[in-house]
Amino acid sequence: MIRHHPDKNMLLEYTVGSLPEGPNLIVAAHVQMCTECRAQYHTMNTLGGSILENCTEQSLKENAFEQLMGRIDQSPAPKGNTAADRPKISEPLLNDAPPVVHKLLAKNPPIKWKSITPALKMCRLSTGQDKYEVSFHRLSCGGKVAEHDHRGAELTLVLYGRFSDSNGVYGRGDFLLREPGEVHRPTVTEDQECLCFSAVQAPVALTGVNGWLLNRLIPFHPG
Amino acid sequence: MAHRTHPNSETNPVKLLQRENQDWSTLLTKVGHERDRQAFEQLFRHFAPLIKGFHHNRTTQAISAEAADELVQETLLKVWRKAPSFDASRASASTWIFTIMRNTRIDMLRRSGRHKSADIIEAVDVWDETPEHQPLIFLQRRRNEREIAESLHSLPTEQSHVLEKAYMEGKSHSEISTELALPLGTVKSRVRLALKKLQARLAK
Repeated sequence: MIRHHPDKNMLLEYTVGSLPEGPNLIVAAHVQMCTECRAQYHTMNTLGGSILENCTEQSLKENAFEQLMGRIDQSPAPKGNTAADRPKISEPLLNDAPPVVHKLLAKNPPIKWKSITPALKMCRLSTGQDKYEVSFHRLSCGGKVAEHDHRGAELTLVLYGRFSDSNGVYGRGDFLLREPGEVHRPTVTEDQECLCFSAVQAPVALTGVNGWLLNRLIPFHPG
Repeated sequence: MAHRTHPNSETNPVKLLQRENQDWSTLLTKVGHERDRQAFEQLFRHFAPLIKGFHHNRTTQAISAEAADELVQETLLKVWRKAPSFDASRASASTWIFTIMRNTRIDMLRRSGRHKSADIIEAVDVWDETPEHQPLIFLQRRRNEREIAESLHSLPTEQSHVLEKAYMEGKSHSEISTELALPLGTVKSRVRLALKKLQARLAK
């Protein structure tokens, strides 16, 4: 069961399209996995429909309709995206990932994990923006991530496995937002690996001696 | 928000909205199943001026009049093409058209932006346009839409104003807070209060 969700403000910003692209992808993936948030999203779409029905009409050019029908007659309908362009997933842990993650995978080169520490591997994803680093993090069974601080916001969605920190246990579909200044030390459960999808606003500042070393090892590469 | 008048004499705008919405959904279904151009023209005459007004009016100029015209064309082109997938048992015409319009706007903004993120991923992959099938709650959905329309009318202006800015101008909470010179916490709580009222009506 999914227990950790984005708050209503964030869901509304997602619905209207005002979240930065990095966080937006994480929230979108969560909404695709979470029945509860999907219901909220549909309610917010309905609210959008009501606002549309109630807004002040603005007149169009006289021939606007004819112009549109001309376009419709001239341009054949493009082939819609189908399941056919769903690529083979090189990473079995991502088989059950939500559709938006599969779309992103299809637009990126095959996953190549980069070891950061013995317990932590990561793979950066190209998303066409440079404000947030969007990536997968993969933690081995029982693995611990060095205690780290956040200089910028970090949004994380668990796609596989479970991990815990001082605030709770997070499993598949759970969403976490860590604000700047919050320190945490995620630890993975012993029974299985953990794979997360995340967007980080600015370099993660690791505290402690290992942290200092890690900071040197994880340069910030958005995009 | 202005209430449009209906040829019939009924005056309650919410009731009107509901009846209209059912009519629009019927028309949209005809467009999808029969490729009925007359039905599509009726939908166009109703929704096109609303889509333009949503983005460009006296108080809101989220985009220029020209861009709003282009958005109307693009949105209704997609409405025509996607109409066969419209399912009146899942969403009303206005809700479905809102999602198409939002996605079209996002793709247009991305195409004109510095980063060609539209090349990476399309809006439709990030914002689903159709709710999953939940046939048992069909009547519930109809009731919910009525409740949402009614509660929108009964919100205090300061709350509906913030919602309109978020929806119509596509602004984030922090952009709204800067623009209205309000603390971010105030903007967030107005949004939450508005949504709470809405949810409370739905839960009744």
